[in-house]
Amino acid sequence: MDSKFLFFVARRAVNAVITVILMIALIFIIMHLVAPTPEDLARLYVGPKFPPAELKLIAQRLGLTQPVYVQFVTYVTGFFRGNLGTDTIYGIPEILVIEEYFPVTLNMVLLGTLFGVLLGLFTGAIAASNRNTPTDYGVKALYLGTWAAPPFLVGVVLQLFLGYGLHLLPTSNVANPVLNIPPPVTGFPLIDSILAQDWTYLYSWTRHLILPAITIGLISFGSITRLTRATMVDALDKDYVKLAYMKGLGQRTVVWGTAFRNAIIPIVTLLALTFAATVGGAVIVEYVFEYHGIGFFAVQAAYALDYPAILAITVIVGFSVIIANFIADVLYGIMDPRVRLT
Amino acid sequence: MGDGDTNRLTRFRLFKGRQRSPSVAVPDQAETPLGETSGIRFIVGFVRRDKIALSGALGVAIFIMFSVIQGFLELLGGYLRNPSLSYLLLPSDPFTFHFGLELAPPSLANFPVGLLGYDETGRSILSRILYAAPRDALASILIVVSAIVIGMALGISAGYIGGWADEILMRITDAFLAFPLILLAIAMSLILGNGYLVVLITLMAIWWPTYARFFRAQALSLKSRGYVEASRLSGLSSARIILRHIFPNSIDPIVAIATLDFGNVILTYSTLAFLGIGVTVGVPEWGSMAAQGLSYAPRVWWYALFPAIAIMAVVVCFSLLGDRIQDMVGGRISY
Repeated sequence: MDSKFLFFVARRAVNAVITVILMIALIFIIMHLVAPTPEDLARLYVGPKFPPAELKLIAQRLGLTQPVYVQFVTYVTGFFRGNLGTDTIYGIPEILVIEEYFPVTLNMVLLGTLFGVLLGLFTGAIAASNRNTPTDYGVKALYLGTWAAPPFLVGVVLQLFLGYGLHLLPTSNVANPVLNIPPPVTGFPLIDSILAQDWTYLYSWTRHLILPAITIGLISFGSITRLTRATMVDALDKDYVKLAYMKGLGQRTVVWGTAFRNAIIPIVTLLALTFAATVGGAVIVEYVFEYHGIGFFAVQAAYALDYPAILAITVIVGFSVIIANFIADVLYGIMDPRVRLT
Repeated sequence: MGDGDTNRLTRFRLFKGRQRSPSVAVPDQAETPLGETSGIRFIVGFVRRDKIALSGALGVAIFIMFSVIQGFLELLGGYLRNPSLSYLLLPSDPFTFHFGLELAPPSLANFPVGLLGYDETGRSILSRILYAAPRDALASILIVVSAIVIGMALGISAGYIGGWADEILMRITDAFLAFPLILLAIAMSLILGNGYLVVLITLMAIWWPTYARFFRAQALSLKSRGYVEASRLSGLSSARIILRHIFPNSIDPIVAIATLDFGNVILTYSTLAFLGIGVTVGVPEWGSMAAQGLSYAPRVWWYALFPAIAIMAVVVCFSLLGDRIQDMVGGRISY
């Protein structure tokens, strides 16, 4: 059984690597489709501010006049070595920019997703165990309201009421801009500030985190509630639940102890998909809250016509989504042994 | 599900094709609700009995019908170079400045032109919201339909053929699935130029992977059914089996997710418009109107709020209807 599980993990890992290479190939194909000549490609790499004569030289220097397959191999190997091009605005390698901004986003998105998942599981289970009662309809109204609202509306409403109205929480920035950022060891503000024992920064960061994280949670919990309710409704009809009731267990024990634990397994797969969506959604949340993470940076890069930055961010986010999918697959294998056989 | 009517519901079918699949269709001819056996009338009859879903369906119908007529008028007005034709249905010309009414609040004074207030140059917000509807409708329909077509072609062939074809097609699907939608749309509009068409093409290129996975799962489970094996043994070609058995039997549940997905497309599209992606300057668009209005919020709340509410209302209608259809076709979606 153990070796079988290792085989399962290895198979999934190989799949993930193939998917990453395919994704890079796709970006590569897109770039070559929209910029068929070496000069156009050079313009993609260095930005729109060079005259055509210089672009020709730049294309030669960057090796863009080589055959396509050579360029492709260079591109793929470059990606795995962390070479994503040079930023046209800051003049530094993209990987440094991403190293600085991506962990900030990841930290916020992970906590926001956690909030969304807890909320989704809780409301979904409650809706299922009170099927077709006012509670069920209330939950439905709640998630329809936040899920159908455009994400920026959710963010702005929270900002208006909790931030500007009640003055409870700050409405922009990652932390108080007056404070010094703790030395970046991991890049994650949470871990860095604990390592540096910078409790002021940690407090400020936490306060600034709450609104964006709640927004992320609110716009993403609807799909989790929907699926949890569906699986819970199925689970509550199963024989083992009836048996649990017959044993004389209370409703609370049966719902949370028996049915819920069996119902949450399919949610794991959804989580990876949700993660992909929320990293995308982080763009808009960070834009609204001026949260200086990768999404905010992407929008700024778009306004500044910084092509390499936006392409590098797309590739890196796609890469992290594939990693998340891989983790979800393995978790699924651990939780539900039947999956390993396929 | 589990509501008393589910057993009856699993019988609902959209296409006659399902009746060719005896294992599903035969047993339940005995008692039919409302005396209806199949097709659209069954859905209509069922939705009619659920007040909430009915209001959702009504909203969707009004939105689509209005968009079709309005879109047609806009095209005609552009073609005949007669702009007043495109404002036939609207309370006022969405591009006229009402001087002295800049940022005026909603009022009944100039009904219905001023019902939702005016923007910073005194243009009627209600007219502008209505004028923008066809673009959202067109985007959602085009993208969902193209996603179904591409997803069906790739998903069914992956599931039915299996083996290496399956492996390759699914890896490609995974690669597409990994792309962050909004970021890719930003990148594309940056490189190809900012326009409605670019956003449409980008979304069409990237919306299909979930459908491909779904169709693959359906094809896998249908492949081993008795009637499919029987028709294979009787010498039917693969193309015929796919067309006559696999496709008609997997399309029903798709209707439910597609209905829900219309709302998703509209949300994504207006989120992009909010960031200024895919909008033409001056042409009204819900997302970009909300973005412009935000610079006057919260004092001028009507400017940003009403376009956002328009988006929300349409998405809620689609998801109310989609939820109901999903209950009807029974069971949840497995990827």
